[in-house]
Amino acid sequence: MTELKQSMRIAQARLKKRRAAETRFKLFGIAALAFAFLCVATLFTNIIGNGYTGFLQTYVEIDITFDETMIDPSGKRKVNDLRMADYTALVKSSLRKEFPGVKGRKIKRELYGLVSSGATYQLRDMVLADPSLIGTSQKIWLMASDEVDMLIKDVFKRSEPESTRPVSNKEVAWIEKFESEGRIDKRFNTNFFQAGDSREPEQAGIRGALVGSALTMLVTLALSFPCGVMAAIYLEEFAPKNKFTYLVEVNINNLAAVPSIVFGLLGLAIFLNLFGMPRSAPVAGGVVLALMTLPTIIIASRAALKAVPPSIMEAAIGVGASKMQAVFHHQLPLAMPGILTGTIIGMAQALGETAPLLMIGMVAFIADVPGTPVDPATVLPVQVYLWADSPERAFVEKTSAAIMVLLAFLITMNALAVLLRKKLEKRW
Amino acid sequence: MNMVSEASVMDKTAEISLSSVNSLNIPAQDVKISAKDVRVRYGSKEALFGINLDVPESKVTSLIGPSGCGKSTFLRCINRMNDTIDGCAVTGSIEMDGVNVLSKSVDTVLLRAKIGMVFQKPNPFPKSIFDNVAYGARLHGLASNKDELEHIVINSLEKVGLIKEVKDRLMEPGTGLSGGQQQRLCIARAIAVDPELLLMDEPCSALDPIATAKIEELIDELRGSYTIVIVTHSMQQAARVSQNTAFFHLGNLVEYGETEQIFTSPIDERTKGYITGRFG
Repeated sequence: MTELKQSMRIAQARLKKRRAAETRFKLFGIAALAFAFLCVATLFTNIIGNGYTGFLQTYVEIDITFDETMIDPSGKRKVNDLRMADYTALVKSSLRKEFPGVKGRKIKRELYGLVSSGATYQLRDMVLADPSLIGTSQKIWLMASDEVDMLIKDVFKRSEPESTRPVSNKEVAWIEKFESEGRIDKRFNTNFFQAGDSREPEQAGIRGALVGSALTMLVTLALSFPCGVMAAIYLEEFAPKNKFTYLVEVNINNLAAVPSIVFGLLGLAIFLNLFGMPRSAPVAGGVVLALMTLPTIIIASRAALKAVPPSIMEAAIGVGASKMQAVFHHQLPLAMPGILTGTIIGMAQALGETAPLLMIGMVAFIADVPGTPVDPATVLPVQVYLWADSPERAFVEKTSAAIMVLLAFLITMNALAVLLRKKLEKRW
Repeated sequence: MNMVSEASVMDKTAEISLSSVNSLNIPAQDVKISAKDVRVRYGSKEALFGINLDVPESKVTSLIGPSGCGKSTFLRCINRMNDTIDGCAVTGSIEMDGVNVLSKSVDTVLLRAKIGMVFQKPNPFPKSIFDNVAYGARLHGLASNKDELEHIVINSLEKVGLIKEVKDRLMEPGTGLSGGQQQRLCIARAIAVDPELLLMDEPCSALDPIATAKIEELIDELRGSYTIVIVTHSMQQAARVSQNTAFFHLGNLVEYGETEQIFTSPIDERTKGYITGRFG
């Protein structure tokens, strides 16, 4: 009896220690979570803080006289003539009219620099859409140049001395005149979502990279998902368990750990040089990324297939289903949520991949928005890299904005897959 | 001379053991399944050492014995379920209606349509009750239209006495039923393809006594239309539901006879030991 009490006392003492250990463990867990959350929060505030202005663009309202003698001296309104006309001159003459006191080539060039060179195309498109504008005078909001944009967004400080400021005092004075007249405004930057890349920051858009990424992902998914799932089914259910299949398995696991740049080199050597696939094209990028994604999908799919209770397979086979029927009617649908999870992980990885795409030329400067998977294109992470590498100050906000678009693309893609998975899960 | 006498002695012992094993005399026309010298090995481990067993038609035959004695292995030989296990080799012959089901030329898909199987743990598909029962019929194309399929499903559910309980929720998942109902659903699924033989591998081991009683009742009803071979751990169950009983021990068929005889006056010492609970 006393012995029992003695043992109880020891247990009691130990219990305190055990409880303390448990509390400690919980605290560690919370601390780890808090740290991770802090890191993510810092990252997001940094990116969003830097990048939200990228979605805004400064516009200047300018009186433009659509002078017929400058646009269409023949008066025949031929589309080709209208397209070839010198709209830059229109902008220039309007600006000269605005500030009649400006003399001298150098200063004039500074004055013309207030408006983006993209204004030319804006005016051209307006005239092409409505030739009756010719001969009239209009107040038009033109895209401001990146330097004006930076000054308005307070990235270039007016308080700084002129020598360290990229915008001269004269320019500041002109801008302030516009400001006092209410003719400068920040608006939502629709151009950012409609245009391809450009050397001029204010004209650069994400559309080309976005479409390029979407096309590349489509190619990747179309190749890696069916191949990966089929390979997983074969290896898991049909392949004889011998040394050869064991070797294949080990190699698949190893492939998942191969640095992605190696896949890029492989793509360059095999797909571009040997098979002659187009350079810089989403189809080549998609194939390379599919190779990279395959091991992830195969490994995840095999795990998901293995997790389906064998009793279900036995039941199907017991009723007279062939092995293939049992797999496709029961095992595969039950494993689908797990397979999709693996696919999401693989695709997310592929979406963020830059290195292998550098090797197959998707790092080129491409101003056009790709229409098909064989057109030259770039992808979002490569676009981020290209902009981050550009010297103009205005590309900093574009870089962060592109990162936000990349994250939004990723979240949308994952949300779709999660929805699909939820739907499949509900069926059972 | 010496050798001859030895041989005759051996013959005699063989005869004795044979008679003790085959104390059941089934008229040849009533034999549904006839197993001859069935041997099974998993890799290098032998699981069955030459089983000779005749199963009579339209009767319940139970296979009893301690765990690991090979009774489930034997059962799974009959519908070739052992084919799905890697490294499992089966020799000998099992004739069903004169056809050796172990022969390579037999199509397992058709064979398993003729031989239904019910497993230890209820394993309905995670689909609707209707789809569960309809699965086999759809696989083998037994119904040419929706009405026929419906008829097959309703009929099968009726046979297992489940129709009253589930008729309002045929489209609900089969996994939502209770354990006993699930097992009856599995039996309905097996008989929906109209098999000749039903194999049951400890069908009540995961069920409570009431559900067990229902299944046993069902087995008794089904006996008229199907030949049933049931593996069971419970000797009471064997005594209640079966007409013939075979006792397996360490991969051998020790004794086979009418259930009553096996349980009241077993010939072999090992049988006696097992049914009186001295080992098992």
